[in-house]
Amino acid sequence: METYSKVYNIEKHDISNAGTIASLTKRELKRRGLTREFVKKVTIGLYEAEINVVIHSYGGNVSLDITDEYIEIIFKDTGPGIDSIDEAMTAGFSTASSLAIENGFGAGMGLPNIKAVSDEMLLTSSKEGTRLYLKFYIKSENYES
Amino acid sequence: MKVKNILESEHFQLISDNLGIENEVNGIFSCDLLSHVMGFANEKNILITVLNNINVLGVASLLDLSCVIFSHNIQVNESIISKANDLDIPLIRTKLSTSETVISLYQSGVNN
Repeated sequence: METYSKVYNIEKHDISNAGTIASLTKRELKRRGLTREFVKKVTIGLYEAEINVVIHSYGGNVSLDITDEYIEIIFKDTGPGIDSIDEAMTAGFSTASSLAIENGFGAGMGLPNIKAVSDEMLLTSSKEGTRLYLKFYIKSENYES
Repeated sequence: MKVKNILESEHFQLISDNLGIENEVNGIFSCDLLSHVMGFANEKNILITVLNNINVLGVASLLDLSCVIFSHNIQVNESIISKANDLDIPLIRTKLSTSETVISLYQSGVNN
């Protein structure tokens, strides 16, 4: 199938639209005949990462490339960065604002959930911004038979 | 079991349109933190929550949950009901507490 490439902007604090990117991508993954289990993994990763950009950053974007063999996703934001990636990766550790908590987020499970579902995850951060690289490999058994 | 079977109990009131009530139900998940729901709920689960927030529907849709039950008689915003109707996700309200809701559903035959 053709490669599907998209870039979406993500606005700071735009919580009511969060999940749109995951929904649109879920539809494309289903169209490509991928299994429910595989679609769920990718959807969880996308949703959690999108929420992170919305609630923690000054805004950013995500680029997506879906081929027959893999999915590559890169989230970038413009700051303020993560103080300690080790702490951020710890389940339950959270620096979420009251805005995030009132909206049901901020459990400190976002990055651990992303790590659990993705095949490759690379998180780098400075005050100028955070970059999250995710890769999901698509195997033949990930397609509906 | 289907969502419509749950609605046979006097405790549960459908507050969205009559859409999705044929959805299959295969388990109960109760949580007010959406990342936990994302990480641990399964397709066709019922979500019980007090989180009166539009993002509940984003998560319910992404995970293909069967319905959302608002416990403790939570008054749900119109914008949430309208979004649920767009997504064909049944919204149910109950005066029961979250734990009473779980027990009631379990007694009516939903279990995981």
